[in-house]
Amino acid sequence: MTEPDNLHQRFDKVWRNLPGWGALAAVNHTSVGRRFMVTGGIFFLIGGLLAMLIRTQLALPDQDTLSPGLYSQMFTMHGTVMMFLFAIPILEGAAIYLIPKMIGARDLIFPRLSALGYYCYLFGGIIVLSSLLLGIAPDAGWFMYTPLSNAEFSPGPGSDFWLLGITFVEISAVSAGIELTVAILRSRTQGMTLSKMPIFCWYILVTALMIVFGFPPLILASILLELERAAGMPFFDVAAGGDPILWQHLFWLFGHPEVYIIFLPAAGMVSTILPVFTGRPLVGYRWIVMAVILTGFISFGLWAHHMFTVGIPQMAQAFFSMASMMVAIPTAIQIFAWLATIWTGRVVYSLPMLWIFGFLFIFVIGGLTGVMLAMVPFNWQVHDSHFVVAHLHYVLVGGMLFPLIGGLYYWLPHFSGRMPSERLGRWGFWLTFIGFNATFFLMHLTGLLGMPRRFYTYGEGAGWDWLNLLSSVGSFVIATGVAMIIIDVVLHFRFGRKAGSNPWNADTLEWATGTPPPMYNFASLPEIKSRHPLWNQPELLESIPAGEHGLTQIEHGRRETFGTDAITGKLKEVMLLPTNSWLPLITAAVLAVLCVSLLVRSYTVAMVAAAVAAVFLFRWSWENGGHPKAAPLGDKEPEEAPLQSRTTDGSGLWGMVITLLADGALYLALLFGWLYLWTVAPNWAVPDESPISLPMMALSGLLLTGATWWYSGAVKKLKAGNDSGLESRFWVATGTGAAHLALLAWITFASPLATTEYTHDAVLFVMLMFLIFHSSITVIATGLQALRVRFGYVSKKLPYEPVVLRPMWIFTLAIFWCSVASFLLLPIAWGPA
Amino acid sequence: MKTLRAHPLHLFSGLLIWAVYYVVLYGGQGAGCAIAPPPAEAGSSTWLNAVLLLHTLVFATLLLYLAWLAYRSTPAERGNARFLLRTSAALYLLAAVATLAIGLPSALLPPCV
Repeated sequence: MTEPDNLHQRFDKVWRNLPGWGALAAVNHTSVGRRFMVTGGIFFLIGGLLAMLIRTQLALPDQDTLSPGLYSQMFTMHGTVMMFLFAIPILEGAAIYLIPKMIGARDLIFPRLSALGYYCYLFGGIIVLSSLLLGIAPDAGWFMYTPLSNAEFSPGPGSDFWLLGITFVEISAVSAGIELTVAILRSRTQGMTLSKMPIFCWYILVTALMIVFGFPPLILASILLELERAAGMPFFDVAAGGDPILWQHLFWLFGHPEVYIIFLPAAGMVSTILPVFTGRPLVGYRWIVMAVILTGFISFGLWAHHMFTVGIPQMAQAFFSMASMMVAIPTAIQIFAWLATIWTGRVVYSLPMLWIFGFLFIFVIGGLTGVMLAMVPFNWQVHDSHFVVAHLHYVLVGGMLFPLIGGLYYWLPHFSGRMPSERLGRWGFWLTFIGFNATFFLMHLTGLLGMPRRFYTYGEGAGWDWLNLLSSVGSFVIATGVAMIIIDVVLHFRFGRKAGSNPWNADTLEWATGTPPPMYNFASLPEIKSRHPLWNQPELLESIPAGEHGLTQIEHGRRETFGTDAITGKLKEVMLLPTNSWLPLITAAVLAVLCVSLLVRSYTVAMVAAAVAAVFLFRWSWENGGHPKAAPLGDKEPEEAPLQSRTTDGSGLWGMVITLLADGALYLALLFGWLYLWTVAPNWAVPDESPISLPMMALSGLLLTGATWWYSGAVKKLKAGNDSGLESRFWVATGTGAAHLALLAWITFASPLATTEYTHDAVLFVMLMFLIFHSSITVIATGLQALRVRFGYVSKKLPYEPVVLRPMWIFTLAIFWCSVASFLLLPIAWGPA
Repeated sequence: MKTLRAHPLHLFSGLLIWAVYYVVLYGGQGAGCAIAPPPAEAGSSTWLNAVLLLHTLVFATLLLYLAWLAYRSTPAERGNARFLLRTSAALYLLAAVATLAIGLPSALLPPCV
């Protein structure tokens, strides 16, 4: 046996998945990423099938293939499946699979979180789709506008399936956002400074942060609407002081960034693939980084362009119109950089490039119609017409699906070790390309001729007949193209020729893992010297598997990777990565029970499920750091750098901060809702006297302030190397925090809140529950820290975990006092509205 | 002479400032119209337009200053610091352009119609 083989055997023993059903306990990013992508692909086919049914119905005038109700379910589910169950998860899956390999790491930093995210996605998707099989699918459109989606106008469980199922799925998106952000910042291989990072990582970093800030408004909106439907809290009911337009704001605060959350990873694939097939570095790397960051921010400033017809003042419309036009600038920068790369390179017209050319053609058309729609008067004219349907498909299919399939063909040899068929692939491309343009280019004309969206049929003689017929024929041509691609992919596993180690002569590190890759990616972790490691250091293809670089110790049986400085890529610590675990699957299954029990309004079961899920999550946190199942002190410490549980700036702290950013975005969305209703809702009513006792709130806040101060002091001493009395300090913080929590709970449930009569009181209730939720987690986690000190899992030599928890205390304190100021003091100062 | 230290936060801070500007602009316009709406016949010559324009100019000036500072602090030699500061300078500049572009309607349109 050669040395690389010997090394492989030893690494594989530590990193491989459990056999048989045990594979369900896999947490490795390669397995989880593949599962995301395959599941997303299946959902894509289901969403496509729904599209075919829609086009069948619209092919001829006055058809009744689908009833009006069923047609509404079809278009709602088509949009929902494609956006939430296909586009985002499949791109997340691609990022989860590729990022560690591109940055020279062995796995993502929080592998169990990836696995939990996958199972939440899978179970959530199944729950949402089951409604279709039961004939009770949501039918209020994929954006669930109120009042159409409320209990009065959508009395069945369809909207509940959407609200609960999609929120469940969003757990996976947010967890992937947090995980990818921290992984990119803290686990790049040595020498990979920010300026040497693969361009795809910049795209994913910005996308991940957009998910962190973009998804919470929708999560909040879904919680509010479900509370309105299930508990009668009138957030969107005008009569009680609510406003249905608030839903639109919260939805599109998520919904427009969502377009770019989908586009940016796909554009990242374009920026990765183009240099390989033009044989030169990407033109304008720095310009593209700038454009990606710019897109990430500006895309949050245009949500109201989806709402130009709801009666927003002209000036506000103009703000959003300007922002909508401005977002074309960073996109144009990227397109010109791509064209310059093609112009100055020697293009190889392989299959992936064909899809990139298709992307450029289609996406530019979609972008141009986007600029047209940014203009308010034109937008009014074509609002809710098939023109908008054509535009959004040009943007999403051109901007996401085409690069994705280009990426699929590019990385297919990486997944399987075999090459696809050029002939079948080209058939697939041309059929899809021609079919797509036949379907959707004509749809612009249908829209301009006045055909509205979401109408299940139309009469003869409006001039729409032949356009609809051709669009439907085009959609079946697309289906044939997709079938070709599927056949090609399936057949290549058996008949494709062997790919070899770097079949496209690519420059990025993922091609140094081998094709297909081993579970540990790299037997040794290299130091890289440029932005194009495999072009400038081609010897890495042999030296990495031969174990000539860092972190080759594996006899201890731990999964490890390097933790490096976020800016310079200098080695800081060795990160311990969890091995196979059933906890993610079990936790997700319990959360699925919670979701279903809320659907069927079985609240006792829901409360039990929530408690059981919490037990599993805290159990999960228990097996970390110095725990015997992790890395107890003195257990073969690594040579290159300390284990991160022995440090105070590890990935857990970064993960906590990014999580709190998402949490803060949710809180800000709640605050926005409160202020919005206060200023805009036509019947907003404030009681003469606040139902919440201000002195009691102040007392509860003082207790929380004391607990936070006490805990922070203990952590400060611990970081200074002093752990004397640590356990008792944590118990004091726990006890004081528990007193605050008990008082807060008493205030919440003893106050005379008329939550079903007044929106004002319902919002106050949600705010109080938000505070209770955070205080509870913080207090319990601190109690567990005290126990861990007793067990010896936390000490001055193991100071990692209390440092991670400190930002949680500070956040809990900050939202408490901010709530007192905004929800209780401001109304007193302002007076009744 | 004041200079900026090369730090990735500069890549985001310009646009964060722009985001704060935007929130205050949109929120301020809404709040102004709710509290003391100027008459529609006054067109764009109102106190609210003036406040929004002033708000725009203050933020644009701040961002232009930061762009200049980042540009001036960029070292000549290639490397991480040059990459971070040069990109940050461009982002500060674009944030200033975005501020001016989005603030432009407050010079032209009545605020509450």
